[in-house]
Amino acid sequence: MADSRGSHLSVVLDLSPSQWHLSAENPPTNPFPLSLSSFLSQLLTFLNAHIASKHENSLAVFGAFPRKSILLYASSNTPTSDDTMDANWFPPFRQVDFTVVRRITEELDSLEGASEDEAPTALVGALTKALCYVNRIMQPPAQAIAKPSDKVDLSTLPEPHILILSVSPDLATSYIPIMNAIFSAQKLKVMIDVCQIYGEDSVFLQQAAHLTGGSYILLERRDALLQYLIMCFLSPQSIRQTLSVPTQDRIDFRAACFCHKNIVDIGFICSVCLSIFCQPVPVCSTCRTKFPMKTLQRLNASRPASANVSNRPSPSPAQSRPAVTSTNGDTPRSHGLSELPSTSSINAHTRTASNGTKSS
Amino acid sequence: MPPRRDADFMDVDSDSDVSLPEDVRGKGKGKAKAGRKKDKGKGKAKDTQPYTWEASYTRSWETVQEDEAGSLQSAVEDWLARGRRKRLLNPATPIRRTIIRHLMLLLDLSSAMLDRDMRPTRFDLTLQYAREFVAEWFDQNPLGQIGVVGMRAGVGERVGEMSGNPQEVLGYLKERHKLEPTGDPSLQNAIEMARSSMSHLPTHSSREIVIIYGSLTTCDPGNIHETLETCMKDRIRISVVALAAEMKVCREMCDKTGGHFAVAMNEGHFKDVLFELVPPPAQHASAPRIISNSAGTGTGSTPADLIMMGFPTRLPDASPPSLCVCHSDLRSDGFLCPRCLAKVCDVPTDCDICGLMIVSSPHLARSYHHLFPVKQYEAVMSVEADAALACHACARPFPTAISATVTDGLSPWARYQCPECKQDYCSDCDIFVHDVIHCCPGCGK
Ligand SMILES: [Zn+2]
Ligand SMILES: [Zn+2]
Ligand SMILES: [Zn+2]
Ligand SMILES: [Zn+2]
Ligand SMILES: [Zn+2]
Ligand SMILES: [Zn+2]
Repeated sequence: MADSRGSHLSVVLDLSPSQWHLSAENPPTNPFPLSLSSFLSQLLTFLNAHIASKHENSLAVFGAFPRKSILLYASSNTPTSDDTMDANWFPPFRQVDFTVVRRITEELDSLEGASEDEAPTALVGALTKALCYVNRIMQPPAQAIAKPSDKVDLSTLPEPHILILSVSPDLATSYIPIMNAIFSAQKLKVMIDVCQIYGEDSVFLQQAAHLTGGSYILLERRDALLQYLIMCFLSPQSIRQTLSVPTQDRIDFRAACFCHKNIVDIGFICSVCLSIFCQPVPVCSTCRTKFPMKTLQRLNASRPASANVSNRPSPSPAQSRPAVTSTNGDTPRSHGLSELPSTSSINAHTRTASNGTKSS
Repeated sequence: MPPRRDADFMDVDSDSDVSLPEDVRGKGKGKAKAGRKKDKGKGKAKDTQPYTWEASYTRSWETVQEDEAGSLQSAVEDWLARGRRKRLLNPATPIRRTIIRHLMLLLDLSSAMLDRDMRPTRFDLTLQYAREFVAEWFDQNPLGQIGVVGMRAGVGERVGEMSGNPQEVLGYLKERHKLEPTGDPSLQNAIEMARSSMSHLPTHSSREIVIIYGSLTTCDPGNIHETLETCMKDRIRISVVALAAEMKVCREMCDKTGGHFAVAMNEGHFKDVLFELVPPPAQHASAPRIISNSAGTGTGSTPADLIMMGFPTRLPDASPPSLCVCHSDLRSDGFLCPRCLAKVCDVPTDCDICGLMIVSSPHLARSYHHLFPVKQYEAVMSVEADAALACHACARPFPTAISATVTDGLSPWARYQCPECKQDYCSDCDIFVHDVIHCCPGCGK
């Protein structure tokens, strides 16, 4: 039964200094400012709540910094001895709080001297590491493989889930790695939860949550972060079915083109390798296939009405997606046609979660 | 094609009894190789046992050797080393694969399928493996379609139309009583039926026929070689898994159309050879043969094309119900066509209003790891003083002592290094990164 198994939580933190700086800006440009320090204090409370809810629960925290990702804390690693004990502090809490804050401070300090234009955060690296870590803890111990005579109870393996706390916009270059990460999460049966704390909706992370059966939340009331974290993301997969966790609204199934890394809603696909292009091209840049002339003519002829870099309106009424203009000077598609009714915030959806992942 | 017997090939083959489907695809064909493959699986020291009915009772568990300490560690390590070497032999450069596939599965439903040389019967085993094959095939070829034709009582029988929905195809194979074997099979009738149901397909898709054949005869109304000629002209690739023995005409069909011929030696081998047909065929493997046989029309088995596709928006289950354009049903969930905003029930599909092909991006992305494989990690042979103490991906501490048994291709320090980011990974992560994630945790690509 699920009683004896703990749950494992891997948290992936997006720690882009510039995005956190924007998030902390004052009203009126930013109605609900959230600074990194207040975020961290709410996060630590959430992490402590996870550890406290069951003795078997385990935790790993990964940080995505510009250009690098590191493991900030893992409960399986032996505690460092330099921490002094505090009689008023539950040791595991102290361990987590101390380690996470210290590692983040160290990393951010080392970034101080870095150049002006900040590199995008290594969210993919952090997510991939989180998956490798889950893969590691989901394997029965090595002795058990080597000696099958010792019975291993597979039901004691923890129930894993991954929570991504993102503040950065989608990085189109990471489309393929994120998709690969989603498929491996499906194979490992790991649920990926996503909370987009700042900025607009993330197309890729929406798909990640949808395909792995997790929840995706675009945080609008940033002052209520802790409540969202605890109400939506604390429970493990097995309990989710019985809770009313907010489900996703519309899910945007768009992809990024390989040629300009634009996010497109109508693409041109190479039939050999399935590479996506935002405009008809004579030769596939991935597999070097040449396409027939008459296809190109036909597609080019049908283009003005259809093939454009999308400017599908963002479901969030608060921010609108900056219009991505294609480099070949096309006029964006008529907005009136593609106007979707703006969708409600998560508060409108406190019904029973029933978004079983569609087999795709 | 005679089985290749050069030393290298034998070596490659002897690594391949871990039944991953990719390793022997498109290499040697036929009985001689299959026999070798099988006896290895059953025990390395034994003499060849080419046929199931000649085999005595084998105790497969005895072939796993324990070391002095009674542990299976060395066997596990051996297995790891084989996996690594096999991956190193696979080309790391992207190859062209036909990804939009159309396949007709031809099942022999003749009385020969009631034979019990494979347990419980050839028929039951075929049905079971066919279902597993279909599930796995759709997993790897999400944009493909499968149809099923049965061969019994001298005619071809349409079991199921071509469909891109795995559940529908599995449904065809579920009703065992409707497929009860009887009479003689007719290869020609069935192939003609399969061919006609694929004749309307667009030029950019592959056309394949997979035949599971238990009989040793075929009762045809005409000359099967003429059917073969038309198949070659239509660029249909025919692959046969024979359950009894090799038939010359089957071998010829496969060779001439660039398909794969195999005789299943036993239950496990049957599954292996069938599942070798799951991954998309690499184009360069088949193209030369097709050209030489069909007077050089086109550069490959399927002419490439550029297809316009749309990525939909999925409506939540809680949205207000509306009519779908495909069935005119009133329902809440569905997908919106990005061009005309019509609501369809399921993807992939063609929009009923504007004709745009609608796919969700995960459908396409599932095959991208074929295009951008992760560079192979190198086994670390010597460790410097400032080397990382733990695996860069999963933070598992590396062993401090060198492994006593040195296996070829394995690092004695259990460290594997990415040539790009120069980070060290443990052997579990090495396997996981290359087989599952397809993305290096250090480089992020
Ligand atoms: Zn582009
Ligand atoms: Zn291509
Ligand atoms: Zn419908
Ligand atoms: Zn449409
Ligand atoms: Zn590792
Ligand atoms: Zn790397």
